[in-house]
Amino acid sequence: MALPTLRPLPGTLLAVTVLGELGALGLSWGLEPAYDTLFSALVAVLTVGVGALILSRHPSHVIGWLLCVLGLANALAADLPQGWGLRAAAEGWAWGPAAEWLGLWTFLLLGVVWVLIFLLFPSGHLPNRRWSTVVWLDVAGTAILAAGWALDPDTGRYFAGGRNPYAVPGLPTDALFWGGLVTIAVAMVTALAAVVGRLRRSHGVERQQMKWFALSSGFVVAALPTGAALWNFTPLVHPLPLIALTVWPIAIGVAILRYRLYDVDLVISRAFTGAVLTVVLALVYVGSTLVIGAFAGFGSPWATAVSTLLAATAFKLLHQRVQRRVDSAFRPMHHAALSRVGEFIDALRADQVEPEQVVEALRSALGDPLLELRFVLYADEPPVDERGRPVADHLDGGRESYVVERGGITLGQIVWLPRTEEQRRLLPSVVAAAGLAIEMARLRVELRHRLDEVEASRARIVTVADEERRRIERDLHDGAQQRLVSIGLALRHAQHQLGPAEAAASRTLDDAIAQITQAIDELRELAQGLHPALEAGLRPALHELATRAPLPVDVVATAERFPSDVETAAYFVACEGLTNAVKHARAQRVVLRVARENGRCVVSVTDNGVGGARPHNGSGLTGLSDRVAARGGSLRIDSTTGHGTTLTVEFPCAS
Amino acid sequence: MRVVIVEDQVLLREGLARLFVNGGHHVVASLGDAERLHEILIGQNADLVVIDVRMPPTYTDEGTRAALETKQRHPEVGVLVLSQHIETTHAVDLVSRAGFGYLLKDRVLEVGEFLATAQRIANGGSALDPKVVARLLAPATGPLARLTERERRILELMAEGLTNTGIAHRLMLSERTVEAHIRHVLLKLDIPETSDGHRRVLAVLAHLRAVYEWS
Repeated sequence: MALPTLRPLPGTLLAVTVLGELGALGLSWGLEPAYDTLFSALVAVLTVGVGALILSRHPSHVIGWLLCVLGLANALAADLPQGWGLRAAAEGWAWGPAAEWLGLWTFLLLGVVWVLIFLLFPSGHLPNRRWSTVVWLDVAGTAILAAGWALDPDTGRYFAGGRNPYAVPGLPTDALFWGGLVTIAVAMVTALAAVVGRLRRSHGVERQQMKWFALSSGFVVAALPTGAALWNFTPLVHPLPLIALTVWPIAIGVAILRYRLYDVDLVISRAFTGAVLTVVLALVYVGSTLVIGAFAGFGSPWATAVSTLLAATAFKLLHQRVQRRVDSAFRPMHHAALSRVGEFIDALRADQVEPEQVVEALRSALGDPLLELRFVLYADEPPVDERGRPVADHLDGGRESYVVERGGITLGQIVWLPRTEEQRRLLPSVVAAAGLAIEMARLRVELRHRLDEVEASRARIVTVADEERRRIERDLHDGAQQRLVSIGLALRHAQHQLGPAEAAASRTLDDAIAQITQAIDELRELAQGLHPALEAGLRPALHELATRAPLPVDVVATAERFPSDVETAAYFVACEGLTNAVKHARAQRVVLRVARENGRCVVSVTDNGVGGARPHNGSGLTGLSDRVAARGGSLRIDSTTGHGTTLTVEFPCAS
Repeated sequence: MRVVIVEDQVLLREGLARLFVNGGHHVVASLGDAERLHEILIGQNADLVVIDVRMPPTYTDEGTRAALETKQRHPEVGVLVLSQHIETTHAVDLVSRAGFGYLLKDRVLEVGEFLATAQRIANGGSALDPKVVARLLAPATGPLARLTERERRILELMAEGLTNTGIAHRLMLSERTVEAHIRHVLLKLDIPETSDGHRRVLAVLAHLRAVYEWS
């Protein structure tokens, strides 16, 4: 809430009130109990302050003006004359009795303002025109009461001089006093009935405002008589009137300025819980004191200790339960939403739901079926959905975004469309309750996201490696090998130029050429192992591979073509399986199979060797499984000792 | 023999040309790619085209495709494909035509044999590189297992494209002995005997291909 700027007139009124109260304080200091002096000053200043604050926001708000008038009248018409009267009597100043007389009755005028506030809150209008009767009734009652009180000779005992200088002898002051009092009481009760009626009819924002007002007014109505009745019995009640009269204007300010307006349900619920607990604990304490006292003797420290312990235990046991009960009664929506999230968290702990389903719990708790939960994985990147896909970071159709934080870390945001202010107020506590699940979901999304990145990068690495092998293979064929052939041809040409006469030199050249041929053969073998020639497809390449194998190999392969990365990987699977069959399995025969099954490319290498192969026994299978995984495939080895080995690899490949 | 050379690498192209010239042949054209091959063959009365498998632009099988096209358009011209690596499927496919050869590039270093093979192809014969043949005949399974060592050697030379005389000369046997062995081989492989040398090679190759494609 920005610092309010007071308007000139309310600001002046506040300043005058403060000066008036300072004056009254100075005048009456030491001449009456400090509590009375400070109490009265505080209430007056606070009341005008709240009024001025309301007027700074709503310049012509009737309640704002009424609060200003109420506090100002308190200061100027009641406290200041009272202080002057006290000081004048003590110091012998002029106008002492007149001031004392004013202080005697002017506070009665405040009651009229009270009734006006009761009737006009919160709109500034009467519920209907007939209610003006109540105002006039109250004005008349106040006038009659004031006359019966201010002009009564019996009030002389309130004057320092022991005499009311304005008393009118012969007036029926008793009748006036009681008649006025009853009239005022009727007006007050009627005004309070108006408040209750308005509370019942109100809804939405006005209902929340009326709740604040009724709550604080009810507290005033309950606290003032309680304080008065018990004043001489226990000092515990002494702060009650002060609290009641300061809470009242504050509650009015909250209701009109709508600052934390919706917390009223929370306040009511907490207040009610506190009241219920106080009563129950008092009963427990008193009961146990009585029972134990009957055995151990009253006033025994045992009785006190055990009772205190019992009360403390009862508090611990009852607090949560009472709070929940009260919440379900006073804040049904809040209670329902939190229990929905609570049920979800319990299910999560019991492993019955996935953390990602928290979004469904939030949807049902907040009543927005289109609510979205977006996760922020990295501070400077756009948010992602539960599958890690980036989502457009904009709001449409009046939707609102709420940043979810936990432990100072931004977890994500909730994008939703609150339909009522109450729902909007509900969000933070619902999100806080679901925080654990949201954090877990985000961690899982982040984990999946990173796994995807790792898999993509592995696939890239394999692709790059394959391309590199292909490049090297080409370089060998088209570069080194060709160059060697050219050199050989040049040597042959030299041999030709030397002619038949140079037999020795010709033999040297023959030797050199034989070595070149050897080098070309070696390069060819090297190049062939680097990258398979898959231009014609997997089947010819496998037949080719079979012809190079040192043992009989049957090829049962489909003539279909697969994506080139799958063909390359499948070819290396066949190579590795064949190598293992020769090196480790001591096989006599191998079958290579390639088929398309259910949209997958299935490659298998079966041998009739010794079996018992383990995928981790240091063969080239590790590198192979990396290559297979990089293409999203899976690798399986079936090998029992004495029954040969089958290596099966499946690659996803939609046709 | 009038020769057209298609080879993208300059040094090799010139080396090849010199080799033919030194052997007393006439190189009518040396080309860097197969684009103008057809045009040149129409103008020149060539006997043989020597062509590299890998050529621009993709360096995969431009040469093979150009070779097949040449064979279709100019059946009278012999085509000799030079390859860098051993590749049985393609090779057998190509050599199943008359006047066609498939050799590894380093074969050119055995000048005498190379020129003789080139001459044979220009004359309508076939030639398959010994290394390709060796690979085809390598597995000791199926019908090939029934052959003796000597019969296998003779089958290899048949597959390379040699005539009975050539085989007899190479193995230092009498021609009659070679003929007897060949009869045995054809019998064991269930191939009907004919007098035509080239048909005989084709039969052997077709048989081998059948064995390896559908085993």
